[in-house]
Amino acid sequence: MKKIIFLLCVAMLGSLNACTVVKEYEKVNINDPDMVLGDKAVDRFEINAQAYREAAAGANGGKTGGGCGCN
Amino acid sequence: MAVKRAAVAAVIRKIKMKYTFSLFIILCSVSLFAQDSTTTYKKRVLETVEIDFLTSYYSQDGDNAAVSGGIGTEKLTDFTPTFVVAIPLNDDDVLTIDAGVSAYTSASSSNVDPFDGGGEADPFTASSGASASDLWAGGNVTYSHSSDSRNDIVSAKISVSSEYDYFSVGVGGSYTKLFNEKNTELSVHANVYLDNWTLIYPIELRDSPTFVRLDTKNRNSYSLGFGFSQILSKNIQGSLSLDLIQQQGLLSTPFQRIHFSDLPDSFAENFQLADDIERLPDTRFKTAVGGRLNFYLSEMFVLRTYYRYYFDDWGINSHTASVEIPIKISDKFTLYPSYRFYNQTAADYFYPYEMALSTDEFYTSDYDLSEFSANQYGFGIGYTDIFTKWRLLYFGLKSVDLKYDYYKRSSGLHYSLISAGFKFIGN
Repeated sequence: MKKIIFLLCVAMLGSLNACTVVKEYEKVNINDPDMVLGDKAVDRFEINAQAYREAAAGANGGKTGGGCGCN
Repeated sequence: MAVKRAAVAAVIRKIKMKYTFSLFIILCSVSLFAQDSTTTYKKRVLETVEIDFLTSYYSQDGDNAAVSGGIGTEKLTDFTPTFVVAIPLNDDDVLTIDAGVSAYTSASSSNVDPFDGGGEADPFTASSGASASDLWAGGNVTYSHSSDSRNDIVSAKISVSSEYDYFSVGVGGSYTKLFNEKNTELSVHANVYLDNWTLIYPIELRDSPTFVRLDTKNRNSYSLGFGFSQILSKNIQGSLSLDLIQQQGLLSTPFQRIHFSDLPDSFAENFQLADDIERLPDTRFKTAVGGRLNFYLSEMFVLRTYYRYYFDDWGINSHTASVEIPIKISDKFTLYPSYRFYNQTAADYFYPYEMALSTDEFYTSDYDLSEFSANQYGFGIGYTDIFTKWRLLYFGLKSVDLKYDYYKRSSGLHYSLISAGFKFIGN
């Protein structure tokens, strides 16, 4: 696990230097609604069902605590 | 002569000071003007009121109900209407109110008391008792503030939810920092949930003199999360996130039965009576690391990918990977085919039906904590009208999303989920 976190940190730091800055006027494609780095509002039910039916949760913007989840 | 020179020097100094002062005033004015300009022309975080109506219908079935000790029907349906209203309070602040209900019927929950007189008790048959259905109601209010530069965003949230045997309140907050010309984003968020159970035991254990009752009704969850996102090129962006979650208190479910392998079985009608309820440790620490990478392939195709690795101190390790390919078939319609793979190892305390020993300290036959893999196939369609031609009262319909998901796991459980979302925006 430590290796994975280390590799993620290296990737994160590497990306800071490796990327060229994309100007606001160049972000037409990045600003496409389907490029959002998250889930659409309608996906909340899917994430909720997975949080109830699976033991793993978190790191996806979904529910990370609270609630029964017992049905 | 010397007096004359001193007088001239004094005049020059005076003129210099005057110019310096004037220059200072001009610079101040320019800077004030510039600030005013920024204030005047800064874009509102949210232009107008937005209302999302979201709803879903969920239907599940399987043969490993935890309520009857790992055997029995898991049939469950759930209908969930929800409203999310985002209100701009001024140029910088937004208040979001999210409220909904979830009405469910559950065959397995109905067997907390299978002897309701409606027929022979059987773990594969739903009963008609009080626990056969319930209503979950919940909501949260979020306030967010963005700085003038839009590079700093803070938010605070309170939440509450309630169902017949469960009540939860939560508070949370987040801070997001954008920099590098808004190419890079760092965020931190924290949440605390304070939950309270009403303890409901299986019917046959309620009057048992040997049954050991639970000594706590509270469950507290504390989560701390970090996010990092980066625009990698004009067509690629990605993010990494780390969630740390600590839970303590009652982490088992009081009405989930256990059948021990080293004790004789006892039945009433066709229903096997519980030897005990599931027992689980009162603390759990979860860690989840996730990453997303989105590619703008062309005007027609976008590729969205996601991966998560999860582990906790109950012995569960899990991998999740998903891919979605939005396909723009016209300027208004987009198709959303998707696939998701998930697997997990079993919790240290999981035992299949009638495999636990009475001498164990912790045990559960909840198959949500078993080892399994799962596949999910999804298909959605989205409609967007940026001109909001179709109107309802003072609001225009901006988008409609419909989605169907089919989920099947290796343990046999499967579910279907139909979701719909309608976004309206004010004038």
